[in-house]
Formats: sequence, C-alpha cells, structure tokens
Amino acid sequence: MSSRSFRSVFMVASCAGAALSCYLVSLRVASERAALEDVESKIVVAQRDMRVLQTEIGTRGRLSQLERWNAGAFALSAPAADQILKGSFELAQLAQPERKLDFQAPVVLASAPAPEPQKELDVEQTNASVSAAPSSPRALLHEASLKTETREDLAQTAAILPVAAARSTDKPAIAAKLAKSKSVGKPGLAAAQPMKKPVELANRTAKKPGEKSPAIMLQTTRRPAKTAGAGEGAAMRKAPVKKSVDKPIIAAAKPVTKPVRLAKVDPLAPLPAKHSGNSKGTATER
Amino acid sequence: MNAPSPALVAPRPERLRLVGQRRQLLALMHQRLMFAMLVYAGIVAIIALRLLYLAAFGDHAGRKEELTAFVPERGDVVDRDGVPLARTIDAWTISIHPNKVIGDKLELAQKLARLMPEHSAEQYFALLRSGKTFFYLRRRASPELVEAVNAIGEPGLAIDREPDRLYPQTTLAAHVLGFTNIDGRGGAGVERAFDAYLSNAQTRGQPLVLSISSKIQQALEAELGAAMQHFSAIGAAGVVMDVHTGEVLAMTSMPAFNPNAPGQGTPDQMFNRATLGVFELGSTFKPFTLAMAMDSGIVSGPGKMYNCPEVLPAYGHLIHDTHPFGRQCSVAEIMMESSNIGMAQIADQLGTERQKSWLKKMGFLDRVEIELKEKGRPLTPGARWGPFETMTIGFGQGIAVAPLQLAMGYATLFDGGVYHPPTILKIGPGHPLAAGRRVFTADTSYRMRSLLRLVVMRGTGRKADAPGYRIGGKTGTAQKLIDGHYSKTINLTSFAGVFPMDDPRYVIVVMLDEPKATPETYGFTTAGWNVAPVVSRTVSRIAPMLGVSPDMNREPNMAEVLPFVQEAKKQDSSKD
Repeated sequence: MSSRSFRSVFMVASCAGAALSCYLVSLRVASERAALEDVESKIVVAQRDMRVLQTEIGTRGRLSQLERWNAGAFALSAPAADQILKGSFELAQLAQPERKLDFQAPVVLASAPAPEPQKELDVEQTNASVSAAPSSPRALLHEASLKTETREDLAQTAAILPVAAARSTDKPAIAAKLAKSKSVGKPGLAAAQPMKKPVELANRTAKKPGEKSPAIMLQTTRRPAKTAGAGEGAAMRKAPVKKSVDKPIIAAAKPVTKPVRLAKVDPLAPLPAKHSGNSKGTATER
Repeated sequence: MNAPSPALVAPRPERLRLVGQRRQLLALMHQRLMFAMLVYAGIVAIIALRLLYLAAFGDHAGRKEELTAFVPERGDVVDRDGVPLARTIDAWTISIHPNKVIGDKLELAQKLARLMPEHSAEQYFALLRSGKTFFYLRRRASPELVEAVNAIGEPGLAIDREPDRLYPQTTLAAHVLGFTNIDGRGGAGVERAFDAYLSNAQTRGQPLVLSISSKIQQALEAELGAAMQHFSAIGAAGVVMDVHTGEVLAMTSMPAFNPNAPGQGTPDQMFNRATLGVFELGSTFKPFTLAMAMDSGIVSGPGKMYNCPEVLPAYGHLIHDTHPFGRQCSVAEIMMESSNIGMAQIADQLGTERQKSWLKKMGFLDRVEIELKEKGRPLTPGARWGPFETMTIGFGQGIAVAPLQLAMGYATLFDGGVYHPPTILKIGPGHPLAAGRRVFTADTSYRMRSLLRLVVMRGTGRKADAPGYRIGGKTGTAQKLIDGHYSKTINLTSFAGVFPMDDPRYVIVVMLDEPKATPETYGFTTAGWNVAPVVSRTVSRIAPMLGVSPDMNREPNMAEVLPFVQEAKKQDSSKD
C-alpha cells in the first residue's frame, strides 16, 4: 500500500539521481578538459618564451658579430687545405708515437750490437757474473756473503767458486765446470788486476742510462760471457773478482755496490732464463 | 419525488443560449490556456535543453580560443639549416593620447625629451598641445625605456606590445630577405615574393625554408666586403649556387641595408646588384661561346688552332687583346689567356642566329627565373645585333646580365649541360627539384672542365686557386660604359668559378664594381688581381662546410688541354 503510494516519489528521485550523476560526469569531463587546456596554454606560453629567448640569443650571437670576434679579437682564420684530414688513418700518421722502452720485450733488443766488445774481453767475463747476480734478490744476498770471505786462500777460492757461480746464476753445472777448469790457473797479482776495470765499466754504464736501455746494458755486460769463455784467463779472473783475495777491502767493496744499482734497473725482467740460455750457448760452443 | 427532474423541466431558451455560449467560451479559454502553457513549456524546455547541452558539451567560461599551437603573426623565414633569418616578435610600443594627459604637459614634455632625445622638449610640448588624439612615440622600444616611461606614471602614455618583424642577423642576406613596411607587408625580397604565404593564417605556422645557408652567406659577405673596402669599390655582388639543383646558397649585394630599419637605407643600398642589376660581365662569357661552338661542331676540341694577330680588324672595327699572341694559338690558349681576338673568331664562325638561339636556351635573353620580384631584364644589342655584335658578345661585351644569371649559366654548363632554374627555396619535400632541360651535351660539359681548370692553373685566374679544392673558372674585366663610351680606366671585374672541377658541385660568382688599383696590384684593376683572391679565400672557407674535402691528388683530366698550350711562360694575370 505504502510502496504503491510512494512509487511516484521514488521515480522522481531516481530520475533526479540519474540526471544528477550524468551531470556530475559531464562536469568532471569539463573540468578535465579545462585543465588540459590550461596545460596547453602553458605550453604555448612557454613556446613563446623560448622563441623570445632564442631570438635574443640568436641576435646577440649573430654571425657578423662572431665574425668580428673571430677575425678581430681571436685572429682566427679558416683551416688550410692541409689541415683537414680525411680519416683516422691520416690522423694516426700525424701522431708519432714516443719511443718507450719495453722491458717485457728483450728479444728485440738482445740482437743489438754491443758497443765495446773487444777491448775488455777479459774484464767482462767478470761482469757477466756481476750482472747475473742482480737478477734475483737471492743472488744479492750471496754477493754480500762473498765479501766476508775475502781473506781466504786461493785454493779455497777455487774450491768455493763453483758453488758461488752456481748459486748466482741459478744454473749450476756449466758454470761450475767452467770455474773449476779455468780459475785454478792464475793466482795472486793477475787476479787482483782486473778489479778496477769492472768498476770502470759499471761506472760507465751507470753514467749513461739515458742512451742505453737497461736491457742493452745488461746485454753488453752479459754478452762477453759467450766470447770470454773462449779466452783462457777470463773464467779464472772471474774468481778473483768475487773473492778479491789480495786486495784491500775497499777495492773489493766496489763491485759489490755497483751491481746493486744495476739490479735496481730491472728486477722484473725475465733475465735468469735468458741468461741461462746464453751461458748454455757458451757451454755448447766450448 | 416532487422535485422536477431536469429532463422534465425545460430550461428557458435564453438560459440555454447562455449555457451554450459559456461552454464555447470556456472551451476557447481552455484552448488558449493550453496553447500558452505549451508555449511556456516549450520555451522552458528549450532553455532546459540548451542548459543541459551546454553543461554536457559546452565550453567553460575561461576557455581560450585556438591556443593549441603557437602561430606567429607573420611566418618565420629560416635558412636551410633552420637558423632564423626573419621572425616576428612582440615589441614594446610607446604611444601617447594627448587628450587624456592629466598632468603638467610642460613637465611631461621635458621628461619625454630626456628619455627620448630624438625630439626636443618644445616639439613634445607642441605635440601634446596639438589636440590630436594619438601619437606613436617609439616603436620597438627597449625594455629599459619602457620601464622609465612607465615610471612617469602619466595615464595619457600608452605602452603596448605590437608584433614587429625582427631580422636577427641584421644585414646578412638583406637583399634576399627584403623587408616589411610599417603595416607588416613585404616590401622587397622574400618578404615581398612570399607575402601571401607568410601572412596567411593557414601557412604561417610553418617557417619558410630558404636555400640560403647563413654560414656560407656570412663567409661570402665577409670576404667580399673586405675586398670591396680594400679596393674602394662602389659596389659588389656575389652568388654561390648548387650546380645540380640550382639552389642559391648565398647571394649578396653590397652596399647592404639593415632590414630592421629599412627607412634608413639609401637607394644605392636598397638596389639588389645580384638580381636586379645587369652588367656587362666581360670575359666570363667566353666559356659559353666556346661551349656553343663545341656543341655546334665548330670547335672540335681544345687543340683547334686560330690565327691570333696583334690586332684583328673586323666589320669596320678593331679588336684588341691586352697581351696579344701575334701567332697561331690553340683554343686552350685562347681560353687560358682570355684572348678577345681568338674568341671573336669563334663567335663569328658561330654566327648571329645560332648565338641568339643558344643564349635564349640558356635563359640569357629573359629575366632570370627566380622567385624574387627584383629581377633585371638583360640588355642585348636588340635590332643592332649584327656580325660585329656577335663577336663582341662572344667575348662578353655588348650583353648585360645579372650576376645571378651568370651563375646560372655556369651551373648549366657544368651540370652536364642541363639547365635548372635557380631557386631561393630549399629543394625538399615541399619544393621538389624542377625538371631541367638540356642545353649543352654532356660531352661539352665534360670538356669544359679541364679548360676552365687550366685558366686557374696557368692562366689569368691563378690567384683564384685554393690549394686542394680544384677551382676552375674564368676572370672577367669589363670596361664600364660611361656616357656612351667604354672607359679605359673604370672597370667592372668579375670571376665565375666552379669547384671542385673534377666533379663540379658549386658555382661561385663574385663581382666588384669600379675597384681601384692598390700598390699590391701594381696598378692593375683587372679581375685577376682583385676578385680572384676573393674567390680563393671564400672557397677555402666554404668548401669544407659544403662537404668538399681538399685533395691535392685530384684534378680534372688535364692531359686533354696541356698538350695544346705552348711554353708555359711566366705571365702576370693582368688580362681580363
């Protein structure tokens, strides 16, 4: 009964509600659209501002102004034809690489001729051992121990030498053989004599490191080892240097300090292996 | 039951009539009421529907019109790389309404005179008291001035923003761009030629893209301006054109005006020498004569010999050479040393009619085909065009064309002989390349390369050479016609060059009007001394920008011409 009498009211209310919700949707759409238009108009205003700024920059930096600065203030001119390169190849040609020593590549330098090979043949045999010594820290230790034995007998020297040589070069058999066979021959004065020369040589090589690569230096001192093996007195004199029997301590001390310097130059080079190869060569030659 | 039933009681007749009338009346009133109600309901319904419609689809109160994209008042003009050359900006305008001034007019006049000293305080005062309603005080005022004027606080002063045309590059390409007048209509150049496009609301949103390249234009203007100043010339013109498309990459005329203030330009400055001015350009015409002769089968090749005496008598006149051969000389030598006598004989063999038809085909007898409105009509002998005139036209005297036309001729000659009308608009999607028409054969075009390169390598144009860029070209020194006579001293020098000559891509034409001799030219005023170096310097600057890479090892096939050049004796480049 009641629902029947209120039906018209419900109808009106639902109609009004539907109309209202429709209206709300449309209002919502309208407000979204208005917001969109606001953004659009902001974009347009920003575009206009950008244009104004671009125009100002363009006017201030106009080409005639730049030309005035270029020609007048900076004195710049257009590049000449030979200043324009076609590609990376021409560019690379321009850049001359700076010559740098490559310690890792001793193979190439090993074939370089020695500067003074003939004169000091006898001396350099000693150098061979001297330079061989610095190749490893262990060898250095060994040199120091040698100095303490300076007062020993010649006979003893001959007996000890093979051990020393074997230790210093890390290569026992051949060097030991060499020392045994040759070193016994001459004692005393002759043994003392060459003491100065290794020092000289060490000085010389140390003085001009700029000219010679360390690798070459090592090579020059090492190389005679091949040839010196042939000479009679060379191996024999090697022993006195190490032992420095008759000389005062000062003279004996010198060769010990010099190799230390050489050793500083290249402690990392793969010399021991190389050296052993060399001395192996000498061994076969002999 | 005593009550009479209505049916039994007969109403009185008058009463009956009354009832009938009332009923009729009532019905009528009901009808009218109903009608009025329907009308009102209809109106209400219309209003309601309209409201609903507006609520659903209508615009809101703050809606702005058509602001979805920025459209300038007048379209931009940009160069081929998009650099703006002309723009419309909102400029400040200061104006005054003398009737609305409420303060002390004398004081106001003094303040105005202090801020804008182009008029005196008396003039401002007279203006304020003139009784007129409106005056412009300053257009395109600076912001500082606007601020100062605003600080006066006089309600009669009006400060507005008005669209104004700005040319950011000032004088750059002034003659190409032209200017707009006070109403914003184009007055010259592109502004005038494309006025409809630039002002149409449909099209002005898109900028007008010119074929001009501002960098190349600047290089040309700087070098040409320096030469003009150095040689005290009264004018100059220059054109750089793309051989294959006919696009004008740079075009200048000097002295130039500032399009931002066109009213200050003198008539001489406003005159476009590159398109409107026609000049007898002299020997730069010789390659055309030779190409015509080659195409007509008169000259078989650069080795053909002609007798070149000291002086050539022809049709009652004498033709001279600046440095006569006095012997037999080959066509290559005639070109190299720019011999009038040799070229006159070639032109004579060609004949008047054939020369006319060739010149017509090349477009030298009509106004130059370009979009600009400032176009000069070439001057020819007209009815007097006889055999002698044919000879003089053969070496470039007696016909006056615009420098742009000369560039167009060279572009035709070196684009394999195909003519493309020159254009100031960039060739692109909106502006396709116009169909060309063949003028010369490709073979002739090819053979001219080494001949013109020879002129620069060995001949009169040596100073035009830019190492590595293979310039070929021809100098031209024409005597100016003053009071009906050719002056012996006043010249008009020009150089038409093409580079790189082994594969021609660009044409450059430069011209100096009345250059004076300087110590370093040893008193000469010929083209080899004054315009040729301009070409060399300009090409060195623009060629890398144009993508022409320098190469010392490339040349056109010089073996075609070098065998026909006798001993390469040391020459000065004083001939035309």
